[in-house]
Amino acid sequence: GVLAHLEMLEARAHEAAVKQEETEQQEEKLARLRARVQELRRRRDELRAKVDLQEKGQPGKEGVGSDPAQPSARAVVEWKIKSVKAMLQIFYLTGISGKLTKQGVCFCISTAYEGTYLDSYYLDLLIQPEVRIHRHSVPVFIPLEQIAKKYLQTDIRRFLSVLSDHLNAYAGRRYQADQLQERFSDQIEGTLQRNSLCNLLVFNYDVSSTSKSFPFSARLLYGDLCCSLPTEVVVSCARDAPASLAETAAAHSDLFRRTALHKAFGS
Amino acid sequence: MDETVAEYIRRTVLKIPRDEIKTMLQEWGFLSEAQLQTINFHQIKENISQDVVQLCEDNSANIKQAAVLDVIYNHIYPNKRVWSVYQMNKTGEETVIFDLTDFKKKFKRGLRSALKNVTINFRVYEDNAIWIRIAWGTPYTRPNQYKTSYVVYHSQTPYIFISASVLKSNLPLLCQALVAASNYHDIREMELRSHSLNSLKDIVFKRYSQNFQTYYPKPLPERNVAPESDLRIIDENKSEKERIERVNREIFGDGPQPKLEFAQYKLETMFKSDPKMDVLDKKEPFRCLVKFSSPHLLESLKSLAPAGMADAPLSPLLTCIPQKARNYFKIREKKSLLPGSFVSP
Repeated sequence: GVLAHLEMLEARAHEAAVKQEETEQQEEKLARLRARVQELRRRRDELRAKVDLQEKGQPGKEGVGSDPAQPSARAVVEWKIKSVKAMLQIFYLTGISGKLTKQGVCFCISTAYEGTYLDSYYLDLLIQPEVRIHRHSVPVFIPLEQIAKKYLQTDIRRFLSVLSDHLNAYAGRRYQADQLQERFSDQIEGTLQRNSLCNLLVFNYDVSSTSKSFPFSARLLYGDLCCSLPTEVVVSCARDAPASLAETAAAHSDLFRRTALHKAFGS
Repeated sequence: MDETVAEYIRRTVLKIPRDEIKTMLQEWGFLSEAQLQTINFHQIKENISQDVVQLCEDNSANIKQAAVLDVIYNHIYPNKRVWSVYQMNKTGEETVIFDLTDFKKKFKRGLRSALKNVTINFRVYEDNAIWIRIAWGTPYTRPNQYKTSYVVYHSQTPYIFISASVLKSNLPLLCQALVAASNYHDIREMELRSHSLNSLKDIVFKRYSQNFQTYYPKPLPERNVAPESDLRIIDENKSEKERIERVNREIFGDGPQPKLEFAQYKLETMFKSDPKMDVLDKKEPFRCLVKFSSPHLLESLKSLAPAGMADAPLSPLLTCIPQKARNYFKIREKKSLLPGSFVSP
């Protein structure tokens, strides 16, 4: 009775809606293709103009064989390859890039610190039956298993982002420590004492590079593994040192907490 | 200076190749530059060692200082010992801030609480490797400096490299002290052993070359350029050769392989024979041990297929060695549910 009639009306309305959606999609597609045709025509005209210009610049050169106005298929393919390569290069430079493999995806995380590109690390992921890590080249002291346990199954973007943060921060800390050791070695007593993650640095130093004694003793702790600035800095000097030194120590302590280590030394 | 210390220094110096003695003594830093100048390093080693002992006598060396020279020697020549890899586990998730002084203190306390007669030396190198030398004694005798164990540990990693000496009985104590000092919960021995410490490190730290598929074109090594060959020679098998090269490169990667000396497979599988022949009456697993040995096992496996001695791709039992980080395997009969042989974890 009424219900059946209502059902029938509902079905009809549904069909009409579906049909309308289809026609809309068709129209969209058509519009897109038209735009593409316009684009291609425009490009062809550009190339034609270019070729004409070239021909005018070399009067007397006979156009032999195929019509030079039509870009050859080979040239188009080459141009396509070049632009795809450029696109992939851009992705690689953004820091996280990936490639589909037979069984999953292979991601490449590139690290950089303040404009200098540092190492790249790879992750080979399998997708079936669930997302898991097949092989990788992530250093063993980065807590990869922990991060994977938290995010790999649920939110792969977050997983990559967190891992990338860890790796970039580690690369940044290591870069700072290396730079300090390399450029300011005469201001530091011996070599910098650090650990694998470069998140605890201990060293004695002086402000000038010519002195024989190293009155300041610094201990930098990077509590946040995703951060390349220390969370805790203790700069101290000998108990019998003059008050001015103690003041400088406090100022340095603040400086190290805010600025990159090798830059702090440079200033 | 103690007689035993003198003898120990003499014997350690004798182990060092003559050309290296001066540099090692300099690195040791116990003898001053002026003292080193007085030694003639071109005489025979017996005499050099006597001179060194005399100078150490003048400086009153003790056994701990002498032990440092041993550590330096073993660091430069680690391949004279066999190293095993151990893996530690912890259940907590807190970030560990590794403090070297804390580690040393805990380790010494851990060892000394059980055994007073030990000599312990630490030496930290630039690649964050902590070298620990332990000379073992018993509750009633002094530490025997010739029966030493070496431990190499990289902070904040779960792997420990141990070159135990003959005294295997001290191993549990050593493992316990290490676990306590590094804030882990337990430790187990991995099935990975080799003379080459650096290769073991490469395998567990994943520093060896693995071939990852990327779009970013890595600079290809020079050898990819085909050598100029005589045009009169036609390679009939060219496509097959190229396929083998490609498959090989996919499996082994482009760079040098870690150096292992052997791979051992303990088979506990059933002997499969023609049922008519009925070789074995009892249906028991046929126990046998297959051992591959080579000065450089992985490189030789890599060259098997290109040399035509094996089909490419090689059996995954051979190629999984770096990835599974083991070179001792136990292969049991496949259970009906799992395809292929069951390799024990």
